[in-house]
Amino acid sequence: MTQAPPQITLDALAVGQSGTVLHITPLPADQVGDGVDLARRLMELGFVPGERIRMLKRGIPGGDPLAIKVGNATFALRRFEAALITIEPLA
Amino acid sequence: MGAVETRLDGAKKASSQPQIALLGNPNCGKTALFNRLTGSRQKVANYAGVTIERKEGHFTTPAGTPVRLLDLPGAYSLSATTPDEAITRDVVGGLRPGDPRPDAIICVVDATNLRLNLRLVLEVKRLGLPMLLSLNMTDVAKKRGLVIDAAKLSQELGMPVVETIAVQHDGEKALLAAIDAMLPLPPADPQPLSSIDSVSVEATQREVRRILAIVSNDSADSGNLTEKIDNVVLHPVMGPIILAVLMFLIFQAVFAWAATPMEMITAGVEHLGAVLTANMPDGHLKSLLVEGVIGGVGSVLVFLPQILILFFFILSLEDCGYLPRAAFLLDRLMGGVGLSGRAFIPLLSSFACAIPGVMAARTIQNPRDRLVTIMIAPLMTCSARLPVYALIIAAFIPERQVWGLLSLQGLVLFVLYFAGIISAMIVAWVMKRSMGVKSQHPLLLELPAYHWPHLRNLAVSLWERAKIFLTRVGTIILTLMIILWFLSTFPGPPDNAIHPPIYYSLAGILGRGLEVIFAPIGFNWQICIALVPGMAAREVAVGALGTVYALSQSGDALAASLEPLIAHSWSMATALSLLAWYVFAPQCLSTLSVVKRETGATRYALLMAGYMFALAYGASFITYRIALLLGA
Repeated sequence: MTQAPPQITLDALAVGQSGTVLHITPLPADQVGDGVDLARRLMELGFVPGERIRMLKRGIPGGDPLAIKVGNATFALRRFEAALITIEPLA
Repeated sequence: MGAVETRLDGAKKASSQPQIALLGNPNCGKTALFNRLTGSRQKVANYAGVTIERKEGHFTTPAGTPVRLLDLPGAYSLSATTPDEAITRDVVGGLRPGDPRPDAIICVVDATNLRLNLRLVLEVKRLGLPMLLSLNMTDVAKKRGLVIDAAKLSQELGMPVVETIAVQHDGEKALLAAIDAMLPLPPADPQPLSSIDSVSVEATQREVRRILAIVSNDSADSGNLTEKIDNVVLHPVMGPIILAVLMFLIFQAVFAWAATPMEMITAGVEHLGAVLTANMPDGHLKSLLVEGVIGGVGSVLVFLPQILILFFFILSLEDCGYLPRAAFLLDRLMGGVGLSGRAFIPLLSSFACAIPGVMAARTIQNPRDRLVTIMIAPLMTCSARLPVYALIIAAFIPERQVWGLLSLQGLVLFVLYFAGIISAMIVAWVMKRSMGVKSQHPLLLELPAYHWPHLRNLAVSLWERAKIFLTRVGTIILTLMIILWFLSTFPGPPDNAIHPPIYYSLAGILGRGLEVIFAPIGFNWQICIALVPGMAAREVAVGALGTVYALSQSGDALAASLEPLIAHSWSMATALSLLAWYVFAPQCLSTLSVVKRETGATRYALLMAGYMFALAYGASFITYRIALLLGA
């Protein structure tokens, strides 16, 4: 019996905190803009289940966009993009 | 000259030469490696039908085999989200007519970021082309204590792996040797593009992790210098301050540093004009050469230093990794009017010239964001408007201090720049609203590790910019000046002429016709004549006014003596109206043609010309009428 790990979406991660990617949620079909498969793209940039990520910075004002470290790369995402990524925060 | 000859020579033998493509993630140092391998033996053009830069060069391996090298646009994946990636995908898939499928691929990876870079390598490998892995930036990796076992990596990937340092002399040596070892190329068994998707992204990443565990001590996440810099540069308070100071310094430099070389160019042009004047018999040919060609072209050539200085800063900031940070800082602000932070880079370039700005907009993935960015790019005050502003401000705005330290002339110039930016934001907001787009758009912007800008690359890029500008001066602007000279010279004045000769010329007739339209905003027929060539290239307006006011000096002397003349013959209201006109200045034709090419639709170019004409006319009308009311 393993206890289900706590899950949050990446946009809720505090600055300086780390986590592990659990899964990526595809955008609902009616919101898929311009034929870009956002979930797939995020994975291509390295947001793949099992990868370690860390929240580096939040933009101003309103904490948007986010600077996120994944592997040794850093990407800037808007909050709604980060919200597609479910993670398990590391204590 | 040598480079040109060898290139022609190379083209003849093209069929027998192996064609190798450089492929890799953005920011992996691919272009630096391309420059290192080919030096000046490269040809920069566009891929057919699009304005994505196509860089091809050639070199000879140590064993003496000539090789053609293609630098493909950077890509994260061959499933292609951006137009750049689509080009890369189509070339390696052999789907682009005119671009034969490469015989072999050199995959360039950033050794400090294999976790991201190797996925593309595994994808490309499925295509079955002969491949070579260039483990680049190994110097940075070593400094960070990163150990990568190249032999094991080669074994795991099933392809030769060599270490390269693209920014170091001889850093490409191992790669050249490996290319020789690869030649002659074994018969390939190319697979269709669809084979890329035969394995899922997750499975590919598992494979990357498996390989990394074997070949490297990569701990996946370590704080480093880039993060420390970002703590300051992306700081909520410090970040915007640093950005503002940087922008201020760049604009200062564009004006201050360029002064001396600009004076030298002007002096050179004047000297040439004087020599011709002294040594040629009077007549039409002399008039054409001195007033048309030297005067006209010289007045444009003088902006080369400013353009190069601006590009020097833009390219340096891009090279060291700062520009994406600026986009990060401004994303929220730009998001307010519906733009992406990515729009910052094309808009910044547009302060030099809208053409590279419009072209840089292709890094914006969302087609609507891209379109809006293209549409507002010409509202950024390009360097071609400067001579017009400078002339009118010097003639009409008194040189005095306001509030103790600011010069009034400088303040007016700042207001004009600012008016452009504000109106661009408003236009963007209106366009986004009218498109009725509510869904959010992704940013997905990589913030690459910082590194020192590389001087050799910078020099190569600046040289490319200079060549583009000089070609423009030598073709479009030269042609225009000659046409304008003809129009303003023929037909000659009647015997009992009471006006200057130009009044009776074709240009004069045209100007007087246009005056009907422009009189309500205070423009006289002389200004109307200057507007026409000014539409082809804005900076020509100054030269054209000079010709129109029947002056024969060129360069600064022309502007200097034109100044008191227009100060006498125009009212303050007319001058302010013309300044307002040039904030919006209906498009130069070359920008419009680039817009047409970039958007693939004539209607957007027409829409741009239309809305800018309407804004320019409206702004000038309001300015003129208010100025008249205030008694100016």
